[in-house]
Amino acid sequence: MTDMTIDRPDAGAPMTGALRRVLREYGHELLVALAILVLLAVVGTINPRFVSARNMTSVFSGNAYIAVAAIGMTMIIVIRQIDLSVGALIGVLATISGTIAVSGAPVWVAWAAPVICGAAISSVTGVLVAYAGIPSIVVSLGMMAILQGGLISVTGGAWISDLPPAFLLAKMKVLGLPMPLVWGVVLTSAAAVWMRMSAFGRSLYLIGGNAEAARAVGIPVRRRIVAVFAIHGAFAGLATLLFATQLQVIQSTTPANLELVIITAAVIGGVSILGGTGTVIGASLAAVLFAAIGSALIFVNVSAYWLRALIGVLILLTVLADVMRRRRETRAGGH
Amino acid sequence: MINRHSHEAVLAVLAALAIAVLALQSAEFLTPANLMNQGRLMTEVALVALVMTFVIASGGIDLSVGSIMGLSAVLLGTFWQKMGMPLPLAMVLVLFSGALCGLFNGFIIVRFGMPPLIATLGTLALYRGLAEGISQARSVRGWPEWFAQIGQGSFAGVPVQVWILLAAMAVAVVILGYSRWGRTVYAIGSSETAARFAGLPVDAAKYAVYTASGLAASLAAIIFVSRVSTTRSDMGTGLELDVITAVVLGGTSIFGGRGTIIGTVLGLVVIQALESGLSLAGIKGDGTIVLIGVVLILTLLASTFAESRARA
Amino acid sequence: MQLAPQQAADPGVHAPVLSLRDISKSFGPVQALKDVRFDLRSGEVHALMGENGAGKSTLVKVLAGMHRPTSGTIAAGGSEVAFGSARDATAAGIAVVHQELLLFGEMTVAENVFSGRYPRSRAGMIDWGLVRRRARALLADLDCHDLDVDAKVASLSVAMRQRVEIARALNQNAKVLILDEPTAALAEKDAERLLDIVLRLRARGVGIVYVSHRMNEIFRISDRMTVLRDGQYVGTVDAAATSEADLIAMMVGRSIDQVFPKVEAQIGAPVLEVRGLSSGPLVQDATLTVRAGEIVGLAGLVGSGRTELALTLFGITPATSGTIAIDGQEVRIGSPKAARDAGIAYVPEDRGHQGLVKPMAIRENISMAVLDRLSPGGILRKGDEKRIAAEGFRRLGVRAAGIEQPVGQLSGGNQQKVVIAKWLETRPKLLILDEPTRGIDVGAKSEIHRLMGEMAQQGLAILMISSELPEVLAMSDRVLVVAEGRIAAELPRGEATPQTVGHAMTRRTGTTAHGRARP
Repeated sequence: MTDMTIDRPDAGAPMTGALRRVLREYGHELLVALAILVLLAVVGTINPRFVSARNMTSVFSGNAYIAVAAIGMTMIIVIRQIDLSVGALIGVLATISGTIAVSGAPVWVAWAAPVICGAAISSVTGVLVAYAGIPSIVVSLGMMAILQGGLISVTGGAWISDLPPAFLLAKMKVLGLPMPLVWGVVLTSAAAVWMRMSAFGRSLYLIGGNAEAARAVGIPVRRRIVAVFAIHGAFAGLATLLFATQLQVIQSTTPANLELVIITAAVIGGVSILGGTGTVIGASLAAVLFAAIGSALIFVNVSAYWLRALIGVLILLTVLADVMRRRRETRAGGH
Repeated sequence: MINRHSHEAVLAVLAALAIAVLALQSAEFLTPANLMNQGRLMTEVALVALVMTFVIASGGIDLSVGSIMGLSAVLLGTFWQKMGMPLPLAMVLVLFSGALCGLFNGFIIVRFGMPPLIATLGTLALYRGLAEGISQARSVRGWPEWFAQIGQGSFAGVPVQVWILLAAMAVAVVILGYSRWGRTVYAIGSSETAARFAGLPVDAAKYAVYTASGLAASLAAIIFVSRVSTTRSDMGTGLELDVITAVVLGGTSIFGGRGTIIGTVLGLVVIQALESGLSLAGIKGDGTIVLIGVVLILTLLASTFAESRARA
Repeated sequence: MQLAPQQAADPGVHAPVLSLRDISKSFGPVQALKDVRFDLRSGEVHALMGENGAGKSTLVKVLAGMHRPTSGTIAAGGSEVAFGSARDATAAGIAVVHQELLLFGEMTVAENVFSGRYPRSRAGMIDWGLVRRRARALLADLDCHDLDVDAKVASLSVAMRQRVEIARALNQNAKVLILDEPTAALAEKDAERLLDIVLRLRARGVGIVYVSHRMNEIFRISDRMTVLRDGQYVGTVDAAATSEADLIAMMVGRSIDQVFPKVEAQIGAPVLEVRGLSSGPLVQDATLTVRAGEIVGLAGLVGSGRTELALTLFGITPATSGTIAIDGQEVRIGSPKAARDAGIAYVPEDRGHQGLVKPMAIRENISMAVLDRLSPGGILRKGDEKRIAAEGFRRLGVRAAGIEQPVGQLSGGNQQKVVIAKWLETRPKLLILDEPTRGIDVGAKSEIHRLMGEMAQQGLAILMISSELPEVLAMSDRVLVVAEGRIAAELPRGEATPQTVGHAMTRRTGTTAHGRARP
């Protein structure tokens, strides 16, 4: 076999060794970050108002909830599952939270409720996937119908208004920075560290990479699947807080195809749909990239109606690159 | 043999029960007028579900059907009104472009080995995006009288589209149940490798089912546009859910290799009966979506339970 | 750094680290193991021998905690244990390197060595620096300085992956290491290196269970050998006091002629003529001829290119150069369908995966390769289908409830008969049989051999691939030996002996081990 690489000892070139590792591990994330910068530079040159503080704040903080939801979705996809119901879930959680907020309950209850309910509802999906062995795609499709239909039937399409100002988390500021932005950065960093540095976080990659081998090294795969769905539900709850408190009212509908946007953020951020790779940093950056693209289309006078087509193309290209890369690697492995 | 069709038998009993209960509850239900109307309402979903039975039985899935329907509707309006084509030509072109969308799905699945789930999730976004981009939120109205007949007219007392559906059903039953292509689909769904090693045309069959799926979605779009006399880019949103539910409820294994057209038809009937029953009972459309979701999950639970018992 | 407990100086060197008593295991009605005994001492290499289907894999899985024995006891380190899962076996100090390696392709070498059991820093976080340093030290200890611990496992060769898995076993402080056919997929040079590693581990006091078919390896490294036959314990012998012939006699338990009745057939005109066929690295410039009524054996080590040659002839991996002629007519074979139309049939190596659609009925499997003939205009003639299925069923003597029984429920031998029936229905001129009797019980095995003789008598040209040398020698009129993708030797029946064939199998690899100048 001639395909061995000669590893230079670290002592000789510690900097290049570390740099190489970072590039190998975070290459995709750096690529997405680069794409954001290029987009800002190019569109900012065409129309400087695009990069104005005002627009940037509204773009990033208005879409931070997608980045937060994409964190949970990243974990789901890393373990080779998917959740199509997350958009509907966010809608339901928003209504739960808003209803509690206007009922006069303490505001922390209104904030905690979506996180707890999100974890609970999503665990049901997790149990059906892990223990009943039904593919997550269909379970979550069914779940989506139940949540979506349930929400409209219960609320009758009515909006919740007169939300107490203390409830409007997304409008608050920390150290002069908009709350959603701070949350997005803090939650992404925390989740990234957890997935990289904890045994539990690492086990998600093992399960997604080779479930049989993960079982053989003693990881309780089924229980982990349920746990990951619960965590994902909690992140959907956190995303709800940022989403539902932006305006004075809570509608009983969510943006169309919200789940698709969230999944796409994860996929374009480098989370492989074939399982076992990808980071939350990539997913969050991809959410930022989308938000920036969506806004940029307006500033360069392209109809925003094309945005979704663009997203579709991006999904296909990213997955295509992933499929091709794996093929190449397997071939290089001498099969 | 009885064992093989037990799912269909249970479903047939269920459908009969649902219809009987509804007939007892409401005198309007079992009237020819209502039944014909129900047939009209279920045609679009049913057409797509027939082909989806092939797709799922071959071990695949097509999430993009709703988007192909929306794109086809938009294209029909664009070809006819914006580009001034004769309507029959526009209809043919729409069927052609629907088939092309399906062919593209097949291409990325076969040629690049992309998992069907994610490939069609991508094209779901792409085709819907194209529909939105092309229509720019404008709808097309003012369809000629003869065109409206497709979705609103009747022939020999039966709605025109139900005739189309019946013809499609007959073709689907014959192909899936009695032809070598149907057998090929089952073989691929059970073991793609073994099918390939037996010299069966695996790639061609996959291209065919996804192309047919796109074609069915665009045919459904024409009927839908004719029925509601307008085009909108969000037409067919969520169609994939209704279709997959009907197919899975009808006994087609989500893992491939098993499923029948009769089962799918029974699944469609049960869902339609439940929906119309609920609406007669005064429950609005959104409640029925919940029901579809519950029915989908329960069916899967029951069938995976039955399968694991059969294996043990 | 200490990698494994140093037990060499321990007075208990002869006390078994692992001891099995009267282990039986049955799967439904099939008794896979019956009253098997097995002892492993620390610091010994203990070979586990037996023909295919003798129960070696089942025993390995019992040891690994993947199968629970139906009866019998296992003792590890002197105390009785019961393994409920692979995890329990690991906890008892047993590590297994399976044939299909259980690794995480998308993760680095270092992470795979630790796989879920990471060293933590004081803050409870994974100490990645330590992970990498220890992985590097472990691999260095296995004499694998050339392995980059930051490389992705998916990009490594099989030999390298195997070392990663061994390093993982050592990292778990395994006292018992089970290697299941570790050299089966390795080239000679890599196999050599693996044997060195095994000997190093033995010196360190690890008890090693070594499963392999390669006689020369077994005699080079093992201290004792235990032989299984048809799921039963035959005996345990000292390597030093045993000859190869003794061992084969223990494994086979009968003379070769009894097992493989050779039927003489009239050998006719050439059916298959292949010239300069190439496809990928493992089919290089192959030239061969198979005549009507002739059985040509294709011998070679696993991974030598035997199956790849068959796959090229059958159109799964079409040839990139060279010619194939059937009955003197040149044919182009770009797909299995084209191969079938040319008169080539292939009974594949992996019966359950490639040969059969298991959930489908016998009838549907037998008709699968001739669906187009059975459906003029597209509509299947069910009557014709039933007729040919019943005919094939009867002709091959398939034992089943009827042609409607799903093939997944049949025994290996009956499944193989269904595959053969399917291909005979295409009325082939050339039948390629890839490991035709693998995993089949002895009775069905001789039936398959008898069938092969009959088919040859009827003028069919047969190309048979087999890992069982006795089978190749007994059944073939001529033996072709494949090594490293090339046909290394052609031996007529009279000249084909275990020595000549074995020599040809390894000759090429021997000469190329030093310099792989070949493109």
